[in-house]
Amino acid sequence: MKILDKLAVLDRRIIYLFVGLAVIIPMLIPLGLPVDITRPVKNVYDKIESLPEGSIVLMSTDYDPGSEAELYPATEAVIEHCFRRNLRIYMMGLWPAGSALGERALDTLGRIHNKTYGIDYINVGYRPGGAVMLLSLGRNFRDVIRVDYTGRPIDSLELGHQVHSARDITMVMTLSAGDPGVIHWVQYFHARFGTPICAATTAIMAPRQYPYMNSGQLVGLLGGLKGAAEYETLVNRRGRGLTGMDSQSIVHVLLVLFIILGNVILIYQKRKKSAVGAA
Amino acid sequence: MKRTIPQIIVFACGFFMLTAFFIPVRFVQDMSQMLQNWYIGVAAFFVFIGIINLIKINLEKIQRKVRDWQYSYILLGFLFFMMFAGFVLRGHTEGPVFKYMFAYFYTPCSATMFSLLAFFVASASFRAFRAKTPEATLLLIAAVIVMIGRIPVGYGIWHGFPSLVEWIMTVPNTAANRGIIFGINLGLISMALRVLLGIERSYMGGGD
Amino acid sequence: MFIQTIGIWVGALLTLAIFSFLYRDNPVYKVAENIFVGVSAGYWAVVLWFDYAWPNLFAPLFQGRIYYIIPILIGILMFAPLFPKISWLVRIPLTFTMGVAMAVAITQYIQGDIIPQLQGTFLPLRGVPFFTAFSNLLIILGVIFTLIYFYFSKEHKGALGVGAKIGVWFMMVSFGASFGYTIMARVSLLIGRVYYLLHDWLRVVR
Repeated sequence: MKILDKLAVLDRRIIYLFVGLAVIIPMLIPLGLPVDITRPVKNVYDKIESLPEGSIVLMSTDYDPGSEAELYPATEAVIEHCFRRNLRIYMMGLWPAGSALGERALDTLGRIHNKTYGIDYINVGYRPGGAVMLLSLGRNFRDVIRVDYTGRPIDSLELGHQVHSARDITMVMTLSAGDPGVIHWVQYFHARFGTPICAATTAIMAPRQYPYMNSGQLVGLLGGLKGAAEYETLVNRRGRGLTGMDSQSIVHVLLVLFIILGNVILIYQKRKKSAVGAA
Repeated sequence: MKRTIPQIIVFACGFFMLTAFFIPVRFVQDMSQMLQNWYIGVAAFFVFIGIINLIKINLEKIQRKVRDWQYSYILLGFLFFMMFAGFVLRGHTEGPVFKYMFAYFYTPCSATMFSLLAFFVASASFRAFRAKTPEATLLLIAAVIVMIGRIPVGYGIWHGFPSLVEWIMTVPNTAANRGIIFGINLGLISMALRVLLGIERSYMGGGD
Repeated sequence: MFIQTIGIWVGALLTLAIFSFLYRDNPVYKVAENIFVGVSAGYWAVVLWFDYAWPNLFAPLFQGRIYYIIPILIGILMFAPLFPKISWLVRIPLTFTMGVAMAVAITQYIQGDIIPQLQGTFLPLRGVPFFTAFSNLLIILGVIFTLIYFYFSKEHKGALGVGAKIGVWFMMVSFGASFGYTIMARVSLLIGRVYYLLHDWLRVVR
């Protein structure tokens, strides 16, 4: 079959073009497909719903612009939820660029919900040291954090003054793209201090977190952009997660078709080879 | 001496930190905390040395006029400008020029670099993901189920698809990943012990 | 607002410059790549200094806490490779950090990973619905068979071979799921970039 022979040597740039169109067209002509809610995402939502007003949530933005597309929508959705529940957010980051990205979300949503910096939320910026730093942090925040993101002494801010150790934190929400990240929060912070951990991770990391959810070390998980879309549905917020789901659907279907077509070509080439061999 | 002193340091620090975990005496815990804080301080210097190396390598490229040496001017120019924006123009990371560079230069470049992978994975799906063995077939079937089940289209095709995917993630995926976690952790613990006892010394580099 | 518009255009042009690599490697892509490396390195230096090094190391030292000189001196030894005669001194900060990190890792891998995961594997097979019991049994067997696969001290023959084979099947399902999620991740990153171009730059998407 000549067409299969031609497809076997298809220029990869044509494949790229198909992928590009599969992303662009659903954005221009939305399909509005409904998003189902999975248990790991619901667990995060239920946990935040169960926290008393005024509880302090430590939010760790452990990602950089390379993963911003997956984790920033989750950042916004969780902050929105926390502010609606009148929870206080103590933000930090294990990656240098994470706190700058989180700052943008905090500022924007803080203004919308009339929250005051220093009282309702605070950003202490990047903290190096990874996993070992988490042990120091949990024991005594002042050993690791002396100033906030803008250089102000931490004790000059009401929320900063109230947090001294892991005991003052009700829950950790980590938005994690790799190492250091959620696994270290679980292995080091949760194991030593018992603080509940919820996570939003890139989709690549999501399968690896299921054993931790199964053992109870992780409360719940927002996996990738789909997880963010589910959370946006739960908090009734139209964000980038939901906007991207149509494109995500079409590209996935396209890639499955590519995989099937590739294997059809494989079978065809095998049969052709054995027919030539027999001849 | 050049290897003995470092080996003594790694053993002493490691042995102290290990035993401190089991000794609930205040002085020991405070010392352990101090060492952890020093670790964080020293870890910060790893990044500084990385940046100095980057500058050094690019200056050498310019000096020796190797292939694509002209681009090193661009790299160094933007590096120094970013540092100027952060340290001089207005101190600290809240400076408007610094934030502007982060938002409109760093973020788009970083995000786009990683987004290229979507195209490569699509090309690989067509050319490389072939069910040549029963194991590969099982892998591809699981992949296709997850890819379709995790998107709204899958939910639209069959409402049970997401539950099937969740079952795959919470049962076979959890089982295999847990086994891998045990294997990795046991391997890392044995490597850590080898480092502390001085059996593994490759991280010290060559020479005397 | 005008300055913001310029910024969005710069971001969009840099995005398109990097996408041009898909056609083929070219000078426009190389320029964008080098801009990225330069800006990110400069960003890291500034953030690390203001967010950590100054307030946590140097400021306390200048406020009279003399013992902070020790981690600073150890850290300065990181620059020793720049001077060939004393390059061996870099082993001191390396071994210090390795010693602390390895020791902490040993205790935390056991306390934070091995023991909880072991506890999590002891799942109930009675007193739960049948399907839950079946799933729990699969998890227990899956962990055991996966571990059998990684036991290389004996040849995988007979019962051990069968166990290893079943372990491989569990891992293939897990890797397939990971592969599906990986594709999802890569596509999401592309969606983010296209959204930026269509929404922030061209404003054709709400």
